Amino acid sequence: MSDMAGTFPESDALHERARAFVRAFETDAAYPEPFDQLACDLARFQGSHVEGYARLCRARGVELASITRAADAPAVPTDAFKLARVATFPEADAKEIFRTSGTTIGARGTHAMRDVATYDAAALAFGRAALAHGLPARVPVLVLGLSPADAPDSSLGHMTALFARELGAPATPAETYFIDRDGVIDLGALDDRVARAVVEAEPVLLLGTSFAFVHFLEALGEDTFRLPPGSRVMQTGGYKGKSREVPAPVLRRDLARAFHLPEASLVAEYGMTELSSQFYEWTLRDPSAKHGVFVEPPWARVVPVDPETLAPVAAGEIGIARIEDLMNVDSAFAVLAADRVRRVDGGFELLGRAEGAPPRGCSIAIDEMLDRSGR
Amino acid sequence: MIRSLSEKRADVWRLIDAARAVAKDRAAIAADLAGSTGLSREGIELAFERHLELDPSEQEVDQLIASAGDAPHVTVILSANVFVAGLRAIAIAQAASRRVVVRPSRREPHFARALVAKVQASTRAIGLTLAADLDLASGGGVPGNEIHIYGRDATIAAIRARVGDRARVRGHGAGMGLAFVGIGAAIEAAADALASDVIAFDQRGCLSPRVVLVEGEERAARFADALHQSLARAGERVPRGAFHPEERADASRYLATMMFAGQVLAGASHAVGIGPIGAPLAIPPAGRHIHVAPLRSIDDAPGLIATLAPFIIAVGATDLGEGVRLAPAHARVSLLGEMQRPRLDGPVDRR
Repeated sequence: MSDMAGTFPESDALHERARAFVRAFETDAAYPEPFDQLACDLARFQGSHVEGYARLCRARGVELASITRAADAPAVPTDAFKLARVATFPEADAKEIFRTSGTTIGARGTHAMRDVATYDAAALAFGRAALAHGLPARVPVLVLGLSPADAPDSSLGHMTALFARELGAPATPAETYFIDRDGVIDLGALDDRVARAVVEAEPVLLLGTSFAFVHFLEALGEDTFRLPPGSRVMQTGGYKGKSREVPAPVLRRDLARAFHLPEASLVAEYGMTELSSQFYEWTLRDPSAKHGVFVEPPWARVVPVDPETLAPVAAGEIGIARIEDLMNVDSAFAVLAADRVRRVDGGFELLGRAEGAPPRGCSIAIDEMLDRSGR
Repeated sequence: MIRSLSEKRADVWRLIDAARAVAKDRAAIAADLAGSTGLSREGIELAFERHLELDPSEQEVDQLIASAGDAPHVTVILSANVFVAGLRAIAIAQAASRRVVVRPSRREPHFARALVAKVQASTRAIGLTLAADLDLASGGGVPGNEIHIYGRDATIAAIRARVGDRARVRGHGAGMGLAFVGIGAAIEAAADALASDVIAFDQRGCLSPRVVLVEGEERAARFADALHQSLARAGERVPRGAFHPEERADASRYLATMMFAGQVLAGASHAVGIGPIGAPLAIPPAGRHIHVAPLRSIDDAPGLIATLAPFIIAVGATDLGEGVRLAPAHARVSLLGEMQRPRLDGPVDRR
């Protein structure tokens, strides 16, 4: 079930078609082909190269050869990434292997990539649109997160490094990453870096995880930490037990106060290891956009589905997220997440993880065992 | 008041006698139990017939008494569904103190109510009462008082926080069972035995097996097929009870995952998932779903279950020696088919 050793012409052609979507987005050109057309070709490719996906399709009674809509292709649950390899190519050909942050029962989801250029192109194009629109070509990119050296298998670490490299002014790792591998924030170094940006009147792009920002605010206490005017902040991820949990509006309000920024300058991102695309709040681009509403790039769709039947729910209803991602060329084009979502005007709302069935006895609930897996 | 061992024995045996009376008159509460637990009528009957521990030995009762210690006053907070567990919980409390207050589960109060009523109706009533609500903040107001709580870890933690140091809280959290089928096991018999462990309480007990490790990849496939058939037969005898929408959603996700990662044998009211050899374990939802994990050898098992160990409170095996070898130190070990019949010798959860 694989191409000739060392060459992947079918995959390469699909990657090229995927990247054509990104180029069209960047140049405001017409999309090269319908979403469903590439989606179905990806599903067929994955069905012929990933045994698990072929099994899933057979079990669902889906003939991939004849599908014409993305919605007809079964989605791969994120849990499957913990139990089996979800890749169209041999292990030895992986250029990057991203892993989820782990669970109490030890299994970590793995997403291997043979051609990272597609991930990078998509992440950069949509990240730039959501976060950097209107900024100078290069601004200081500061990361409240681990460096790739400290977290080599983190897709989030890869993405923030990509942003630092492609959107950021030249800087050393010490001038970019402000959390060490023990999770300690170097507030002094961050303060020095921000002070330079203030002197040079450079807005900064500050990227961090929710729990890092909570720790940051706790370290700050009643003080503030003024960022240069025009700065932007990207906050992502759940808490995974690494800090107290703070409701998103409260965290946003507190960060805006601490950084002396309007709340519109704070943008939440939603992504996961099993995907190659990310979703953002659109408040920097559209004054009428609301926080809590995430926007998809044109190469991805988030469809709320019934958790039992996996069929799309009625408009406005809550379902779990079926995510169709044309950039997931060599893994799973359609992924079934555990997050609850609802379509609204302009995008989708993220309503937290589906908690699973409440226990009706002393049999342990899966949620009691599993930490939320993430990036 | 410190009681002598013989007084404690007498109190515990009176409680067991009361449980026997409840079982004898179970027709009076069977419908209520079916409604509150979600189990089928046959499931309720099975619980009374096979899983209510009415015939402990004197030695087991003495072990239970020894495990209980002494307390001036014990409050017991019960959880729902595995309703017969109320007997053990109250017996432990009764062994620790003559003054026991029981707060039944709000979802399933019927068994505990019936049990306490039988005790209170006996000629020599013991200090056992029911309470709809409790003043936990006071902890009973007497140093040394105990609160025995059965439920989710989060609930136990919340009650500990509320009570503080005003009483000793003994928490009995949620857990799961693990089964093992060794290379020497007879496949069909092991499958039948495990099926009986799975169907009890619709797998919602903390001893209920959710994962079975099977030595040999080909044997695991044969065992899964046999278990699928055993569960189907058992389901005809004892139909699964209510299966709630959230449980169906969890099941749907597990099935989709295993369709991708392995194989699924799905019946009308059960499913058997078969994982790839050596893969991390998937934990299926309760409700008669069991995950078969093939092993090359029992030697591979400890590594596979290491991170699950804190949650495993029962291990069932076709060979007791193999079960002991695999079980975490705190876990009960039994033969397959006996996992849901723990001796009445102390708490089920020994963590």
